[in-house]
Amino acid sequence: MKIPVEVKVNQRFYRLEVKPQETLLEVLKNRLKINSLRRGCEEGECGACTVLLNGKPVCSCLILSPEADGGEVLTLEGLNRDGELHPLLEAFIENYAIQCGYCTPGIIMTAYYLINHLTSFSEQTIRKGLEGNLCRCTGYVNILKAIEAAKKEKDSGRWW
Amino acid sequence: MVVNNSLPGNRARSNPMKHFVGSRAMPEVNYHRPKELGEALAMIHEFKDNCILIAGGTDLIPALRRGTVSLESRNLVDLRWLKELDYIRRKEDWIQIGAVTRLSDLEDSEIIRKYAPVLSDAAGQIGSLQIRNQGTLGGNLCNASPAADTAPPLLALRARVLLKSLDRQRVVPLDQFFLGPGKTLLMPGEILAEIQVPIPQDEERFCFLKLGRRNAFTLSIVSVATWVKVEQEIIQGIRIALGAVAPTPMRALKSEEYLAGQRVSEKILDQGAKIVSGEVQPLSDVRANAEYRKDMSYILTRRAILFCVTPNKSKEGDENFTSRGEF
Amino acid sequence: MISREQRILSGKGRFIDDLELPNMAYCVFIGSPYAHAKIKRIEVNKAQKKAGILAILIGEDLVKRTEPLPALSDFSGRPGWLWRTPRIYPLAVEKVRFHGEPVAAIIAETPSLALEAAEAVEVEYEPLPLVLNAVEAMQEGTPLVYEEWGDNIQLQTVFNFGDVGKAFQEADRILKVSWRENRTSGFPLEARGCLAAYEPMTETLNTWGSYQCPFRAQHYISHVLRLPQTNVRVVASDIGGGFGNKINPWKYTVVCLAAILTGRPVKWQESAREFFLTGPHQRDVRWEGEVAIKNDGRILGIKARFIQDLGVEISNRDYAAPSIVAACSSVPNAYRLQGLRIEAYGIVTNKSFYGAYRGFGKDKGAKFMERIMDLVSKECNLNPAALRLKNFIQPHEFPYKQISGLVYDSGNYPAVMHAALKVAEVDSWRKKQEELREKGQYIGIGMAFVVEPAGIAAPNARFSGLVQARVRITPDGLVEVYSDRTEIGQGAEKTNTLVVSQILGVKAEEIVIKPVTSDVIGMGPISSRGAVYSVSALVRAAKGVKDIVVKYASAFFQDDPKNIRLEDGRIYSLKNPENSLSFRELADRFYFRPGPRGLPKEMQLNHETLLDVSASWYSPISAENPTTSYTTFSSSADLALVEVDSETGVTKIWKYIHVHDAGKIISPEIVDGQIYGGIVQGIGEALSEELIYNERGELSTDSYTDFVIPTAVDAPDIVIRHLETPSPYTELGTKGMGESPIISSKAAIISAIEDALSPFRVRILEAPATRERIRRWIRNSPAR
Repeated sequence: MKIPVEVKVNQRFYRLEVKPQETLLEVLKNRLKINSLRRGCEEGECGACTVLLNGKPVCSCLILSPEADGGEVLTLEGLNRDGELHPLLEAFIENYAIQCGYCTPGIIMTAYYLINHLTSFSEQTIRKGLEGNLCRCTGYVNILKAIEAAKKEKDSGRWW
Repeated sequence: MVVNNSLPGNRARSNPMKHFVGSRAMPEVNYHRPKELGEALAMIHEFKDNCILIAGGTDLIPALRRGTVSLESRNLVDLRWLKELDYIRRKEDWIQIGAVTRLSDLEDSEIIRKYAPVLSDAAGQIGSLQIRNQGTLGGNLCNASPAADTAPPLLALRARVLLKSLDRQRVVPLDQFFLGPGKTLLMPGEILAEIQVPIPQDEERFCFLKLGRRNAFTLSIVSVATWVKVEQEIIQGIRIALGAVAPTPMRALKSEEYLAGQRVSEKILDQGAKIVSGEVQPLSDVRANAEYRKDMSYILTRRAILFCVTPNKSKEGDENFTSRGEF
Repeated sequence: MISREQRILSGKGRFIDDLELPNMAYCVFIGSPYAHAKIKRIEVNKAQKKAGILAILIGEDLVKRTEPLPALSDFSGRPGWLWRTPRIYPLAVEKVRFHGEPVAAIIAETPSLALEAAEAVEVEYEPLPLVLNAVEAMQEGTPLVYEEWGDNIQLQTVFNFGDVGKAFQEADRILKVSWRENRTSGFPLEARGCLAAYEPMTETLNTWGSYQCPFRAQHYISHVLRLPQTNVRVVASDIGGGFGNKINPWKYTVVCLAAILTGRPVKWQESAREFFLTGPHQRDVRWEGEVAIKNDGRILGIKARFIQDLGVEISNRDYAAPSIVAACSSVPNAYRLQGLRIEAYGIVTNKSFYGAYRGFGKDKGAKFMERIMDLVSKECNLNPAALRLKNFIQPHEFPYKQISGLVYDSGNYPAVMHAALKVAEVDSWRKKQEELREKGQYIGIGMAFVVEPAGIAAPNARFSGLVQARVRITPDGLVEVYSDRTEIGQGAEKTNTLVVSQILGVKAEEIVIKPVTSDVIGMGPISSRGAVYSVSALVRAAKGVKDIVVKYASAFFQDDPKNIRLEDGRIYSLKNPENSLSFRELADRFYFRPGPRGLPKEMQLNHETLLDVSASWYSPISAENPTTSYTTFSSSADLALVEVDSETGVTKIWKYIHVHDAGKIISPEIVDGQIYGGIVQGIGEALSEELIYNERGELSTDSYTDFVIPTAVDAPDIVIRHLETPSPYTELGTKGMGESPIISSKAAIISAIEDALSPFRVRILEAPATRERIRRWIRNSPAR
């Protein structure tokens, strides 16, 4: 069974025929070859596969691809522009917030959302916002530092 | 969403006789996407038991991968697209919530925050941000896990559910909706379309507390929602609803009966809460044993009622109200 | 060359999930639903005929084609040791012994087709009685995991250090002590996986994947598949976390075999659930014993019985048997002891096998000792810090030969302890503790002091102390680094880059850290040996290259070698700094224009015509003193302030302080990152992580839903301070680190909870201290 799906991914428009049981994660990773997608637990428990779907963080492993029809997806590649790393990503590198790197793309997409949308921005609210993104390596400390540093960048105008 | 589930906590295991298969593939499905409610109801009427409904998918997709849900017919009917079921609105003295409303919308809704903040509070503690952006209220209720976190507050709010099928519809109090773990009142061909919440009056106070195995993104070991109406220190009305401590979300009727009409005092509240631990019928599973669940039913109920009867008490800075220090 | 982080964040990650070859097929394992059963019949014909199925392998196929999995440690014949090795193939043969044990491997065009074919695989099992508990497994009449053994003991020995008899004779008091750690393991977010392809023209089996130790993997795979080691090449891809859980390529051997048999590249990518079921498990130990003490708090000796629950085995699927040795020899920790006697047992049960997980074995003895410290502190009414200070090995005593035979290289334990006490405000915390107790609120202060041995060279256990490093300048002036130190997130690439950058004076962008492969000899990043063995070898190799550059430059600039400088990617002589060479220019002259003809005669006659040096390193202390297998010993002091809700058992961590001495630090940020991560893992072990089997022997905690690790909300803020007492034995004075945080944090949190619950007279004898357990301990307390 094949379902036609039209979806915008990182500002590019795609028209695909998907099998309904293919998850959005599988379509993005295996079909569209978007490298930053990480397959973790594939049951919504670790958040490694987080992307922004219509602006909101979701676990792409829990979304059947037909659901993305007419929608917009943003992954880490969509944040970078013309070979320039997004300030959020630079903040992660500068603050040593990446160890093995497996949870990183998912955390970055959630962090991007949080920095743009959290009405009250504090250590507590960031930690709560990140509850669905597990990390086994970093203990989260430097991730928080990176997010706070990135927020400062945004406030000073260096953001997109 | 109608799903065949085994007992909570045991859901993690597949049929013991079946092999564990390390494939990361999802089983094949016949996917159906009705464009509007009428079409959906007609489809479900035709399929009867031979289909599974999906909205958010946060429970169903992991279950399909594990094989704890059998999808012989492979018919999957996707309700996500039904805009007619995705709304939160106020209609006179009622709040009407479409079944396909996302938990994050429920959490952020101005209407809910204004008129039924306990529901927003509970929704905000389900899963994670990602799960809340996908999962729906209808899904949470129809999945009928005894630990569904939206059920206790809705029971405390005296919610009703509107069930629709092709040729009829009926309204049922939520108290009657759950029949057992994974089982609801829904007949073949029937869907949960709307959740109706009577708007509480000002002097009514609500509280929701949950306890899991860690401080965030955790399934409830015990959850409690209470509603108390106090006038001149007498309990005029009280409802106590609990999750994860019985085959379905439940009301602690004996405790309610004891406390109604009583003068508020620590001793009375304590005794009333103790009765709850006798009323619950929890299981022991990998998450917690029955003894702890009984014990926590008492503790959380007492705290929740205390919150309701204490004027100006706030839960600021402590979501679970289970830690009381300040540093 | 951009850094690994930049590469991954630019969408150029190379994790096993990203790797693809044309015509690739997929390997999917099928695991037993039973924890213990005879395989009466296994029928794959129907499944084999299904569309897209290339092959289905079962145990019998492997018996024909492979060697049994080798015993990676073999203690048979060691005097005083009972040791057994089971005969095991990569897939179950005749019997299954744990839930999920693979009975077949399906090789299919797609994972979906494998899933469908799996339905048609028929296996008839005859379930057998099971044993899931090490203590039960030691009793008469218990079900046997390996019938031919007659019992369930894989390992039994007695460790006798010092003079325990004298210690107990001189004691003022003897205290009973008991401590238990339940089963858990690492489970990084990326599970195991590999891609294998056989190249017929060169007869080479190539494999890429989540291999924490490629050289070991090559050794293991070639042995099992009966291939000359020279025909097997293992390449580590990007790895999403290891922690020791990906050291040995057990299931990977089947994927490699499938690639050979089918002639197609074959990929295996484990699901999270498969990892929980069939991955290496750890901890799961019990200590029961007695401590001999003086009234003033000096600890004289310890006698104990130690039981480690190995699951089905500790010898063939992973390199873990020596963990029992490590556990028992780490008991003395940071203290002076007169005697230590431990009866150690490694017991088999019907659970997944025992493997390596951060700490390995060194963690267990140290945690046991820290529990003893808390016990003695309470029983003798002595301040826990003062008690430790009294028992510490003193700074002037290093190098210190511990009764275990380990030689501790250097350290200043009192300084580390005092630094921690200074950062924490223990006195004000204690005052607050008293105030809050009146109100029925319970905070607690916990302490732990841990010594972490690193840099191992042990005989006969594949931990032999082998390492190689190679530094090579390319003709176009980049510096290539070949190391055995696989990047698993611990910062290997970054610190290797810093080391080489400092020695050769080149910028990080000019250094290329090559992917780690089996071409380089070495044990890999295990047991925190990176900063000991790998870095020391790298230093020697880089210095070797530097020597050659300096020799050449000295002739080129006509100046004394002492005056040659390598800085900012340029080489110059002090005589005329303006006239410098870049590495590119130097390499071009060295290799091509004019090439060797232009080298100074001495170099030509000595055949020093390459900018390429390979070097090794062996621990000088292991050479001098054969009783010691570790090289360096870092230390740390942890203080934790927690609050326990006595009604619910919820623990909240208010403050966490960690003071660390890991010798000379190459990168403080990397070290800090390892500390933060290790501490949060230890917190998970202390509060919630547990692998639980139900009465049918099924693993109930088979996903992150039920295997509960800390989220960002559960992790506390952590304050770190560093001291640096260099090691006299390594090239740079560095010490291995990374494991002490996971050891100390578990001990410190347990200690803090126990302190919080002291009004209830609760002694914590078991971890994790889950909410349910804490509540039960309070309810059962005699003080209520």
